[in-house]
Amino acid sequence: MLTLEDLFVVVPVWGLVIVLSWFLSRYLLTVFTGGKSRLDRIFSPVEGFIYRLAGVDAAKKMGWKEYFLSLLYLNAGQAVVAFFILMFQQSLPLNPMHYHGMSWSLALNTALSFSSNTNLQHYNGETALSYLSQMSAIQFLQFTSAATGLATGVAVIRGFAGKAKTIGNFYFDYVRALTRVLLPLAFIATIVLIAMGVPQSLGGYSYEPTLQKDAYEWIYRGPIASLVSIMQLGTNGGGYFGANSAYPLQNPSQLSDLFEIGLMMFIPTSLLFLFGRMVGSNREGRTLFLAAYAIYGIDLLIAFLPHFSIGRGVEVRFGAAASVFWTVTTTAFTTGSVNASLSAFNPVVILTAFFGMLIQAVPGGIGTGAMYLLMYVIVTIFLVGLMAGRTPEYLGFKIEGQDVKLAVASFLTHPIIILIPTVLAFAVGAERGAGLSADSIGFTKVFYEFTSAAANNGSDFLGSAANTVFFNVSTGIVMWLGRFLPMLFMLAIADGVATRKRGYGQGLKTGSMSFVIVLIVSIFILTVLTFFPFLVLGPILQFLQGFRTSFGV
Amino acid sequence: MRAGAKISPAIRMTLISLVICGLVFPIVMTGIGEVAMPWQANGSQVYYDGRPIGSELLTQDFSLPVFFHPRNDSASGVDPDITMSSAISQVPRIHNATGIPESFLNESLQKYRQYTLFFFGTEYVNVLEVNLYLVETYPSIYAPYIQ
Repeated sequence: MLTLEDLFVVVPVWGLVIVLSWFLSRYLLTVFTGGKSRLDRIFSPVEGFIYRLAGVDAAKKMGWKEYFLSLLYLNAGQAVVAFFILMFQQSLPLNPMHYHGMSWSLALNTALSFSSNTNLQHYNGETALSYLSQMSAIQFLQFTSAATGLATGVAVIRGFAGKAKTIGNFYFDYVRALTRVLLPLAFIATIVLIAMGVPQSLGGYSYEPTLQKDAYEWIYRGPIASLVSIMQLGTNGGGYFGANSAYPLQNPSQLSDLFEIGLMMFIPTSLLFLFGRMVGSNREGRTLFLAAYAIYGIDLLIAFLPHFSIGRGVEVRFGAAASVFWTVTTTAFTTGSVNASLSAFNPVVILTAFFGMLIQAVPGGIGTGAMYLLMYVIVTIFLVGLMAGRTPEYLGFKIEGQDVKLAVASFLTHPIIILIPTVLAFAVGAERGAGLSADSIGFTKVFYEFTSAAANNGSDFLGSAANTVFFNVSTGIVMWLGRFLPMLFMLAIADGVATRKRGYGQGLKTGSMSFVIVLIVSIFILTVLTFFPFLVLGPILQFLQGFRTSFGV
Repeated sequence: MRAGAKISPAIRMTLISLVICGLVFPIVMTGIGEVAMPWQANGSQVYYDGRPIGSELLTQDFSLPVFFHPRNDSASGVDPDITMSSAISQVPRIHNATGIPESFLNESLQKYRQYTLFFFGTEYVNVLEVNLYLVETYPSIYAPYIQ
């Protein structure tokens, strides 16, 4: 059960993040509507220089096709660069440990993983990646994928809000996401992390004597703090170390742990408030915020139900509460960093982790979380409209058949790209390559792998055990489809409604508390109906088997 | 032509992003770390008697009976801490191996006690901190066992 002591950890983090997100959303409004700011004196010349260098016109309004293709080409180009850096790192500078390049399938998986904001890792960073790879493949893609997500989220919000009559310009959103949001916040976060003990160095790894006679340890000095800052802020989740944020050099204390949890919640939460601000009605933002945080809160309550104590796979300094809090948060925000081994958790905790990743919107990843929430809103209004016999309307515009088709296509992408490859993996016996058997535990792990890939989360049970051609290629494809297909569909909807006639005002009161409840129930039903059989075969069966064992039946 | 018109900015923007996010940012942060907080930026090195003895943040291979031992089933594999109950269970062994009074060993544990939730939660100690305290307090006993 959630105790008072656990609340002592959860409540201050929630409170602080929510308040700061509210202020951040005001700043984001200025940034993405091009409002005047005192910071223009610093940023505008830099941005102007970048636009000229790249040869783009950042003032031009883009339709959904152009916006989407611009971001797709850019992300493809970035993935290609990272692929070659990872594969040929032995011939590139900043490799003091002389690590070999990755195999083609692992480099492919890693490039697709980081460019899609997933950060599934089939390798251990500290023993496989050069400094250059950690900086110019990993950190680089963590920034750009976060900027792409933020840009897309803002474009969709802008389209729905309708004030600008356009979804905007991708390069404008992308560059500003970097210069005015991600780089400054990551700068501050990096300094805080270094102060807390996270290394930031290019001084090389060393094997050093320790206190006891003839005993040695590896000290991995690297550009860790700068990577951790953007990995959490950008809901990326891929760590410098194989053990991710369980490793003390990536997460030294309880304080750094809570700080890192706060970082991953920060921007996705502020986007929900940004929606209200862009629409011009904070009540509409409140609806998204309350629905997302209610489900996130329910997940937390459920995850704290089973008794949990410090044992195998858990770090002592975080204890039970911060480990569970992190695991629920990292999946709810589809970040995917971990501070404990997933195998350490009760199946009930894993079930709540699944919920976060299956819904992808409570509150979801940077930019995409808000985008998916709007997808659920469209589907919900349509369903309720059918039941009540009303014309479906949202924010004063009519929801048309085309919008519903696109929203449903976006929704269905998720189950299709999770369930088909999961079944395929067992059909071809791929689980054996990762050292698993075809029982409820093996099923949970493979199902989790593809769910995490499709949700662009990146937490996993398998880690480097999944470094097989099958898992590298299959999850690589799933990550890109799960990333870019929903973006395509949602940008199309947003562009369609951006110029649509407003002001009917006959629809549901979407700013009301009753709509919040309808939205929560609808999200829950849609997700459970879609995935229930698979959840039963995995974590639920595992839970019941554990139950049977504990009764000695 | 339309595809070509998008590919050129995509390539250029890729390279610009690579330089800013993948090189300039981490290198500038490294510079700031080295200048402003060199101790933390280089792995929180601990010293004994002027000699470096590893990072404060990582566990060490304490295997001799005279030391408190770390755990080997943590998530990171290098968890520097053990729970108080695990530490207390090791007190008789260390007493037998060194002759240090059990009361002093227990006091040492209390001196370095921490909590998983800052003020409450599970009690634990940092293994290196406690062992270093013992070495500093009983240098002659520990002399044969350290670097």
